[in-house]
Amino acid sequence: MVDSMILAQPDILMLSSAGLLIATFAVVVRRGFVDWLSAYRYQSIVLAGAAATIAYFAGAWEIYIAAALTLLIKAIIIPKVLLRVTRKIKDELKTEANPYVSLRLSVVIAALLVGLSYALTRQMLPDSTLDKVASTYLPVSMSLFLIGLFVMVNRRLALNQVVGLLIIENGLFLFTTALTHGLSILIEIGIFADILVGVVISSILLYRISQTFDTLDVGELEKLRDD
Amino acid sequence: MGLPIDSSAFPTQSSVLVLSLLLTPAASGILVTVTRKKRPVEIITIVSAALILVQAALLVAGVISEKQIRAFGDLFLLDAFGALVMLPIAGVGLISALYSVNYMGRQYDRGTIDDKHIIRFYQGFNVFMLTMLLVPVSNNMGTMWVAIEATTLVSVLLIMLYTKENAIEAAWKYLIIATVGLSFALFGTVFFYYANITAVPAETGSETAMNWSDMVAHAKLLDPNIVKTAFIFVLIGFGTKAGLAPMHTWLPDAHSEAPTPVSALLSGVLLNCSIYGILRFHIITLGTLGDSFSSTLLLILGIVSVGIAAASIYFQKDMKRMLAYSSVEHMGIISLAFGFGGFFGIYGALLHIINHAVAKPLMFFASGSISQKYETKSMSEIKGIIRNMPITGGLFLIGGLAIVGMPPFNMFMSEFMILGAGFGSGQFLASSLVVLFLVVVFAGFMRHLIKMVFGNPKPKSAASMDSSSEMGKLSVVPMAVLAALVIVLGFYVPQPLQALASDVIHIFNQGSDTPATSIAPIKPAAVAQVPATSINQGGLG
Repeated sequence: MVDSMILAQPDILMLSSAGLLIATFAVVVRRGFVDWLSAYRYQSIVLAGAAATIAYFAGAWEIYIAAALTLLIKAIIIPKVLLRVTRKIKDELKTEANPYVSLRLSVVIAALLVGLSYALTRQMLPDSTLDKVASTYLPVSMSLFLIGLFVMVNRRLALNQVVGLLIIENGLFLFTTALTHGLSILIEIGIFADILVGVVISSILLYRISQTFDTLDVGELEKLRDD
Repeated sequence: MGLPIDSSAFPTQSSVLVLSLLLTPAASGILVTVTRKKRPVEIITIVSAALILVQAALLVAGVISEKQIRAFGDLFLLDAFGALVMLPIAGVGLISALYSVNYMGRQYDRGTIDDKHIIRFYQGFNVFMLTMLLVPVSNNMGTMWVAIEATTLVSVLLIMLYTKENAIEAAWKYLIIATVGLSFALFGTVFFYYANITAVPAETGSETAMNWSDMVAHAKLLDPNIVKTAFIFVLIGFGTKAGLAPMHTWLPDAHSEAPTPVSALLSGVLLNCSIYGILRFHIITLGTLGDSFSSTLLLILGIVSVGIAAASIYFQKDMKRMLAYSSVEHMGIISLAFGFGGFFGIYGALLHIINHAVAKPLMFFASGSISQKYETKSMSEIKGIIRNMPITGGLFLIGGLAIVGMPPFNMFMSEFMILGAGFGSGQFLASSLVVLFLVVVFAGFMRHLIKMVFGNPKPKSAASMDSSSEMGKLSVVPMAVLAALVIVLGFYVPQPLQALASDVIHIFNQGSDTPATSIAPIKPAAVAQVPATSINQGGLG
């Protein structure tokens, strides 16, 4: 059993890495908010699996808890909250009509960002200092971070900024867990609480923006200027 | 022979004090939620803020006599640096709670807000105090990050109290930019933690490895390359929250659209919390890499902030936005001063933190009363304050003169010390640039201030028709207290502050290779050898 687990290790690592990246690319190529949320949910499930894998190899029970919390909060609660709050918002407000960079070009840029992440990780943390799990997951976590940032600045919809932030946060969680085998569980819970409260607040704000401005296009939010 | 009792298992006196400091605002927040009536809720918040100030003062007294206070094992640590950040939080908290009664009361009487908003305001106010107080007592850097992120969330709620378009837009920008910024900070924090557990493998998985005290003790062992990357992430992250340019874009919106008592807290003390986060890591970095790396980065961000703020202040039309940009300027000066380092650099920076925390709330309170009186924030509409509301106008003038660094007010002293440290350590280019920018700030700010205070009041404006001139005792008294402090701190620094400041300088030196001894005039710190322009020093290595 243990032998087969060790043999299967690279496969599990590779498969989950691929899963995480595919979900991220799904956000990059899709135009609809519901699609992004399902991609995010899928990514969070894979992320929980990845965390459980790390927990298995590190033999640390705290990471199992973090994985369970990921599953509960990120795969179930957050998508539910966002879906419920945005249900009242008209559909045409929730669709990305014209991103600053076209979707096709976005995919190319996202792919370049993945390459950049691998290069950056090599540069900052040479392979020799890392174990197998960390050296597989770190570039992936960096990719999530960078693509999340890219999604936030490239798209016009306020909804995208929330999804971008959530992807960034998933990247951070993977990074932390792979590199240091998790912070202490108290802090992890604190971070989860911050995210959850942040999502609730941003969904209230999303609703108010759609009511007050009749758009979710952040390009239209430009009343506050210095002139 | 000590008794075989693990002392950390029992709540010590300091643990009780720290716990009750944190429980006070929490309990008050719950009481507000339960009470739900305007008058009792105001009283609860003021009493709680007063209790916080008393307990904070007790803790600070403890820090002065014992150098540091630990609570719950190593989870909480309050040293002189934390005390210097905590004191303004408690002080401005109480003053702000008093001012809120008048300011929010007026909004309520006018019908701008209703009971629901008042309850939300005081709930948010108390939780905001809790999250801010958690920052200076955290020893664990993860806890500190969680607390700082929580301050963002609570203050977003306070800004969006008014459901006006502007407030919603400001709250959204603030939430998104600050949260992205803080995710960089978390990245950096995790990197520091990683550096610590790789340097001392025995620490892996232990509860203490994320503690600042632990990281500082191991500072010399940490991998310099990881620390460099980590510090850059932390600087970008907490720098965003501290309003350092060029990551400051959310700040003028958020600070100008918030309810005035909240603006005072945001500008006066919340920014300090974020600067404090940067500096905790700065101290570790000093230990690992010596003086040049992080100091140079702080210096550069400081100069850029002062420069950008100077230009924005000069061309500003909105009163509260001008004050917000002035916060960017002063955070820049503080960052710059820590970049200069040395005895006078750090001493001046610490005084500047206190001075700014006194003067900026004064300005915001005055501008809040003024904008309620004139029913506008546009500076071209506001003329002749001194005639319409003589006391507020006079206090506004005192605060304004202090903010631009006029003698004999408090900020002159700290700015003078900081620039002295800059020139004294041979940073001529940086210091001259800052002097130039400060002249622009002076010209711009004074131009607006003089017109507003002494200009001819517009005939038939709302202000001239209103017979009652001031906005009520509870708005004037908090301002008068702050103005008195602005004047007193311009002449002398109280003994306890001096004691704390010299302890902080000691904390900064504990990692540094070239300690700048306390009393001797600045021995040019190693920073001096790095001209401000050599940005490439800050590369990723």
